Amino acid sequence: MIRHYGTVALAVAAVFGLSSNIVRAQTAWYDLPAVKAAYEKAKEEKEVNVWTPVQAEADWIGTEFNKRFPGITVKGTGDLQAATKIIAEARANRHSVDVWQNSLGGMLEVQKRNLFAKVDWQPFGIPPGNILFEGDGVAAHNFVYSTLYARNLIKQEDLPKTWDDLLDPKWRGKMVAQDFLFPRLMGFLAIAWGEERTAKWGRAMMNDQKLLITNAPRESFLKTGERVLSIGDAVSQSFQYTENGVPTGYTVLDIVPAVQFMFSAMKNAPHPNAARLLIAWMASDEGMAAREKAVYGASIRPGSKSPLAQQVVQSKAKVILEDLATMDQRADYYKKFSSIIRGP
Amino acid sequence: MSQISLPSGAVQRARIKRAAKAEKRADIGWAGWTAIALGAAAACYFILGPLLMLLTTAFRGPQDFLPFEDGAGWTLDNLAAVYFDRNLYTTIIPNTLIFTAGSVTVTFLIAFTLAWLVERTDLPFRNGVYTIILFPLLVPGIVLSITWIFLLAPNTGWINVILRTLLGLEGSGPLNIFSMGGMILAQGIGLVPFVFLLLSAALRSMNPSLEEASNTAGASPFTTIRRVTLPVLLPGLLAPLILATLITLEQFETPLVIGFPARINVFSTRIFFELNPDTDLPAYGRAAAVALPFLICGVLLLLLYNHFIRRAESFVTVTGKGFRPMRFALGRWRLPAILFISVYALFGALLPGFVLVWASLFGYSLPSFDILSTISFAGYADLFNNPKFWLAARNTFIVAGGSAVIVTTIGVILAWTILRTQLMGRWVLDFISFLSLGIPAVIAGLASMLLYLSMPIGIYGTVLALVLAYSYRMAVSTRLTRAALMQIHAELEEASSVAGGQWLTTIRRVVLPLLRPSLVASFILLFIIGFREFTIPTILQSPDNTVLSVMMWQAFQGGKTTQAAAVGTMIVIFVIPIIFGLRRFVLARDGRD
Repeated sequence: MIRHYGTVALAVAAVFGLSSNIVRAQTAWYDLPAVKAAYEKAKEEKEVNVWTPVQAEADWIGTEFNKRFPGITVKGTGDLQAATKIIAEARANRHSVDVWQNSLGGMLEVQKRNLFAKVDWQPFGIPPGNILFEGDGVAAHNFVYSTLYARNLIKQEDLPKTWDDLLDPKWRGKMVAQDFLFPRLMGFLAIAWGEERTAKWGRAMMNDQKLLITNAPRESFLKTGERVLSIGDAVSQSFQYTENGVPTGYTVLDIVPAVQFMFSAMKNAPHPNAARLLIAWMASDEGMAAREKAVYGASIRPGSKSPLAQQVVQSKAKVILEDLATMDQRADYYKKFSSIIRGP
Repeated sequence: MSQISLPSGAVQRARIKRAAKAEKRADIGWAGWTAIALGAAAACYFILGPLLMLLTTAFRGPQDFLPFEDGAGWTLDNLAAVYFDRNLYTTIIPNTLIFTAGSVTVTFLIAFTLAWLVERTDLPFRNGVYTIILFPLLVPGIVLSITWIFLLAPNTGWINVILRTLLGLEGSGPLNIFSMGGMILAQGIGLVPFVFLLLSAALRSMNPSLEEASNTAGASPFTTIRRVTLPVLLPGLLAPLILATLITLEQFETPLVIGFPARINVFSTRIFFELNPDTDLPAYGRAAAVALPFLICGVLLLLLYNHFIRRAESFVTVTGKGFRPMRFALGRWRLPAILFISVYALFGALLPGFVLVWASLFGYSLPSFDILSTISFAGYADLFNNPKFWLAARNTFIVAGGSAVIVTTIGVILAWTILRTQLMGRWVLDFISFLSLGIPAVIAGLASMLLYLSMPIGIYGTVLALVLAYSYRMAVSTRLTRAALMQIHAELEEASSVAGGQWLTTIRRVVLPLLRPSLVASFILLFIIGFREFTIPTILQSPDNTVLSVMMWQAFQGGKTTQAAAVGTMIVIFVIPIIFGLRRFVLARDGRD
């Protein structure tokens, strides 16, 4: 067993919440010497292979990245189970991935195997608060759990304000959730509420409120009116559903759980300089803004300039960001709550 | 004397037997032996890797190490976690049995009726009907399931809304797709084309002289089917029955999308959840442990199959005598037959097809005349302007076509070896090829990844790696060809041999033409499966070997509904002409209408 959560958790906890613009105060980040040097070398490498959980997360990168750094081909591949591939490739001493983006939890097994390049990211303009695992990774966007609603079927004033509001009988038979996301949402809520209260809430959602758990696209239920609320869905999905022809809004409830996504350069990346440059760009304000525009995902970490981050701050909601300190506890909750959701 | 003659007689018989075997070996010749050796070696190469991976993975742990990593060791923990779970026996196994039995029954009732109508009656527009019946095979399983939700969702399902209006009912229902009945209906209809393809091949290969005799004797069409067609077709019926049972056991799209909301868990959903954990690596060990019963079921079903068809000569209907098939005149049954096909076509093909095309043009907007003005071809424009789409299309044709040719070829060699030779160990080949059906695609993909990563030659990450990885699914091809070969009397090959034909000539000019319907059916099926497969190419993907199914699945996962539906529509557009063309080819060669 390779476990060294403690060290990493300390590093993350120590720097989390700190936002530093010292390095960037004087110079635009792309004029930083480290960035310029990386770009020169990256041009010689000509390409960079980036892996993301889904293809849509990778498709937008090339065009936007090349506006700032032309001459480098970005090859994007979406794979939810990339960890298996990366570990297998490393074992065979063959390497095809330069940059990997995934959730903190999803990258942990690869990080434990010491397969990420340890990089000093500060010269690239990354605030210390966004450097994870002592340089193994850089904080990306967040998957912000929310409750989405069919805009043409629910009035704004009727919307729930808290997660407990969802137990109101008026929502009985009107809610849908995804099987993968809902137990994970409960894992986050249990950090704030404790196991007993969360389990009781989950059972009430399933048994009393007749929450429909599905693997089908939730927007199809919102569109037809079969259900009007999608519970534990991401804020970013509301924009995607609207784009797909389903007018969807989101609510910021009293607790805002958020999965932390991360970029890492691989230790044996075939294109190491292009990998660093790409990560530095994606983690910059410019890259973050381009990402938010393309696939709607935003960061709500302290210091984020995204509108969603401002909205969360103004709502005074309790934010629970995915971190290593609670990783094991949430995983334990998740296993317990899964049986409530999935049945015997 | 008798005491002396007995051993002498035995020796004589042994000599005759040896001579017959030697003569048979000589008949086969070096070309035949080479083909058999290559076929057997290829089958072992393609199947043993995934099979060994499945068997070893089930006994490797702990979960935070991949089964092949240094930190992993041998363990019974996976089996204990799966088989000491009370829910397995109280819920999962009973659910799985009900779901499988129900679905296969629905499938068979519909598929046999359709196959008989198309191949044995004077039904009009048979060629078009054939293509329509196969349509659900082309539509992604997830789209078929969503179509059923649109139709039968308790609150807003179109059929429920109509029923409530007609019956004056309030509230939700009266029908609910999220139920065991809904799962059985959706899965049963979804599997019809697969079984139809196998059954129609068997019906097409069958010499109908026995049916004609029955008909001449005054038996009704129903009596003829019951007393003549079904018994003669036994191998051709059992093969799809067994294959459909195993496929339903493994199928996870319908249980996930339709069964899961009703909290109905079956074996395949358990595998899905083991492979999609929260933070840890996929629990390959436990997934393999859950999949082991598929292998055991496969072995038991194969034994059953071999038991039922042990008298192979009983099923011979194609002999040296030429035949021209007779078609039953439907007469007054023509209208009910057309109605039956129309209902199937509506739910199995037209509505899913409509949902697919509509979603590609309008996203999730509900059908109405007002919405027509918002039609958008952006999903298609994005695709056509994306070089990756054209690369994926090219790769898909290569992978689906290449693997279908390889597997069909090996299937013929194996089936012929098993039935026509006395080769020692031929039954092992039969078992190995059949067991391929019990191996989950994720395990096969994992095995291929490790194999090609460890090879010094650069196959890993290429299209060739996909062609080879897809080629482990031999059960369908071998079973289909074997069933067809059983209907062909060996006297035809003997006649060719007596006339001086070499083994290769006999196979090329006698066996293959008679097997054509089965070979084409096998190719079509494998080609379509190759187009739809997304688990293996996802595991083995690289920027250069992406295929359409992965592109569609990725778009779907990323919430790009119109783009996903556009890829799905393009898959249908690519495959339909091939099915139609192959069907025409078979008909033209058979000289039939």
